[in-house]
Amino acid sequence: MTLSHCLLLATALFSIGVYGLLTRRHAIAVLLSVELMANAANICFVAFSRFRGGSGQLFALFALALTVAEVAVGLALVILLYRSHRDTRIDLASEMKL
Amino acid sequence: MTRPIVLALVGLFAPAAAALLLAVAPALRRRGTPAAALTILGSVASFGAALLLLADRLHGGPAALATVPWLRSGDSVIAEIGVCADGVSASMLVVVTLVALCVQVFSLGYMHDEQPPSFGRYFTYHALFLFSMNVLVLAPNLLQLFGGWELVGVTSYLLIGFYFRKPSAARAAVKAFWVTKFADMGLLFGLFVLFAATGSFRWDAHLAPAVATAVTLLFFLAVVGKSAQFPLHVWLPDAMEGPTPVSALLHAATMVAAGVFLIVRANPLFEQSETTRNVMLIVGAGTALFAACLALVQSDIKKVLAYSTCSQLGYMVAALGAGSMMGGFFHLTTHAFFKALLFLAAGSAIHAVHSNEIDDMGGLAKRMPWTGAAFVIGALALAGIPGFSGFFSKDLVLEAVEHRLGHVPWIALLGTAFLTAFYMGRVVVVAFFGAPSGEKAAHAHEAGWSMRGPLVVLAALSLLGGAFTAPFARLHGEPYALHLGVGPVLAAALALGGFALAYRVYGADRRAAPAVLEGLSKVARSRAVNRFYEFGFHRVALVVSSGLAWTDRYLVDGLINMIGYETLEGGRRARPLQTGLAPDYVLAVVLGVVGLAAWAVAQ
Amino acid sequence: MSATLGFGVVAACALLSAVFVVRAVDLIRAVLWLGITLVATAALYAMLGASFLAGVQLLLYVGGVMTLMVFGVMITRRHEGIAPTATDTVRPVRGAVVAAALFGLVAAAIVNTEGLDEAPARALAPLTLADLGRSILVEHLLAFEALSLLLLAAIIGAVVIARRRDPGPLDEPTEASR
Repeated sequence: MTLSHCLLLATALFSIGVYGLLTRRHAIAVLLSVELMANAANICFVAFSRFRGGSGQLFALFALALTVAEVAVGLALVILLYRSHRDTRIDLASEMKL
Repeated sequence: MTRPIVLALVGLFAPAAAALLLAVAPALRRRGTPAAALTILGSVASFGAALLLLADRLHGGPAALATVPWLRSGDSVIAEIGVCADGVSASMLVVVTLVALCVQVFSLGYMHDEQPPSFGRYFTYHALFLFSMNVLVLAPNLLQLFGGWELVGVTSYLLIGFYFRKPSAARAAVKAFWVTKFADMGLLFGLFVLFAATGSFRWDAHLAPAVATAVTLLFFLAVVGKSAQFPLHVWLPDAMEGPTPVSALLHAATMVAAGVFLIVRANPLFEQSETTRNVMLIVGAGTALFAACLALVQSDIKKVLAYSTCSQLGYMVAALGAGSMMGGFFHLTTHAFFKALLFLAAGSAIHAVHSNEIDDMGGLAKRMPWTGAAFVIGALALAGIPGFSGFFSKDLVLEAVEHRLGHVPWIALLGTAFLTAFYMGRVVVVAFFGAPSGEKAAHAHEAGWSMRGPLVVLAALSLLGGAFTAPFARLHGEPYALHLGVGPVLAAALALGGFALAYRVYGADRRAAPAVLEGLSKVARSRAVNRFYEFGFHRVALVVSSGLAWTDRYLVDGLINMIGYETLEGGRRARPLQTGLAPDYVLAVVLGVVGLAAWAVAQ
Repeated sequence: MSATLGFGVVAACALLSAVFVVRAVDLIRAVLWLGITLVATAALYAMLGASFLAGVQLLLYVGGVMTLMVFGVMITRRHEGIAPTATDTVRPVRGAVVAAALFGLVAAAIVNTEGLDEAPARALAPLTLADLGRSILVEHLLAFEALSLLLLAAIIGAVVIARRRDPGPLDEPTEASR
């Protein structure tokens, strides 16, 4: 197990999350992908902290808390979207469209 | 500032001051008489200055030149303006101002019937014209001469088209302008070549032979236009639409003489090109003969005089081509006087019978003795009858061309002398002798003194002008001695013969004419040269211009329009990027991240 | 050796379940697969010596976030049966290409960085819980307090955003709310 292994794993997870972000239609599915990406970033923090020292774990902790807050607010928005359109397709959030 | 310079400046600016004043004070102009007074005052001042200047020069005073820088390029001065007071400009200035003064005084009577605003406009134009002509005559370099040349073109357009409400007059003015403008390209390009070769506009430069030929040929093109030589003579007969005093001034003495003056001025350059001088000889002699033939069959008295002017200018051009600056220039001087006299006398006759046609006149000598005498004196001088001024100047011309190009030009000019006497005799006999042909002629009466005075002055000069030959020659550095060789005797004989023939043909029955004249009349009426120009214009010039206009509209403008159009189109095509849909913006963000990653990796 | 093997297993788990998260048609399944991914991550933390973090991960993520997600899914289902909601994917090729590009770039950077895997100059002392606690409450106290403020704001915000405005039951089919 080396630093580059961990980083590659994190990059792979992040990329998978990007794929989901771009492809999924359901709002909650998109949130799941975002979770994946945040998680991958956290892995990077911890890995660097383990192999290079520093306060990576601390950052990971804070990031984790932030992510949880973000999920809460995001879900609230999804519920709002569902209430207005009775559907959860993300392209329904299109009031900016001409 | 020396005396000659002061005199030259007065001569230049007196008419300018009159013109300027009249231009900025319309009230003064529209009253009519004040305009005339101001203009004539300016002309008197100008003439006085010119006389004093000439007197100075005749007494051996030094030539003077005064300039101020005009066009600069960086540190060096390209061109200057100012005045040049030497023998050439002094003599020409006297001629120009004297004839202008006579014509302006004559106009007081002739244009008497005009409304005051028109009257004022007429005299304003005269002041402008005199100023323009003086700019040309007093120019210290060829660039200012060109400036004066163009000014003269504009003011002559204004004067020819004075009766602008008459369509034929307006067209004649435009035609004169176009033909001379086309020829002026020669002067312009000649100046370009001169400047490229020598870096200045002086006329005393020494050029390589090919350059000298190029420059002088280009200048000669301008002369062909301005002095109505074949084939650019077509504007002169039409220009008779202007008031007769204008014809006397422009088309006898001054404007058309400007071409000849250019050659006299730039004589050092013309001396360097034998080729150009031969061309001048041929064109001059040819035009003289050609125009004389056409003058034979004109019924409008002014047109006879117009073609006669073309013909006499041909004499001058030929003389200069033969290398005799003195001959050409002196003939210019005498011609100015007797041709202006002829035009003014004709004007007096026209004023009396209210018609230009010689067939409407008849027996005028009895009813208008002063006019008749004036016209006869002018005719005799023009024909070169011994004793009159024209004889001396023509003699110089004939002498110069006698041995050039195998005597051919000389023979042409001798033939022209015969024809000149013949057609002038015809006019004299038909218009001034015999019985009046109609009511108007029968009731013609002599003009007032405003019109008679100038006639007297000019008649005196035509009669006695021969006396000036020797001083004129001295002024221009050539000794003069009268020899009565074959040439002058022959010419005199031919002139007398021409008059005799005219009397015999037209005296008895004025409408009888030899058959050859019928043929000539047909040629004249065919307007061949004019039709050639019309063809050239419509088929060639217009086609080329349409092509260029198309290029301008669709390529040049099209390019600019396309830039504008493409800008708008680009915006229109880029708009779909902004879909307003969230997922698309997410994609944009992710692409941005990818881009940043790529950039970071590349570092 | 065993460390590497263990790492390999955990990594494989994480990757596989991540793929299922983004490809599962049934949303509940997707949520559950995310849970597995997060558990694998926790195991990874433990292997990297961050045992406290592993515990927190399990508690917050698996416990909290997963629960929220399940609730969200349940709330936003249509009333007619337990039909799968719209989870189909659009334009998979485009997404795959972009994701692959991103992975390729960063992976290339990682692989090409020299000296990434060397041992550090001096041996690192493993981070103890005491150290972590001291960091939070002494050095980064401000951040810690700000974080708690943020959490408060998030709670209040979520409640305000999601509260009901129209009367009547949530999933009445006939009522339009705009």
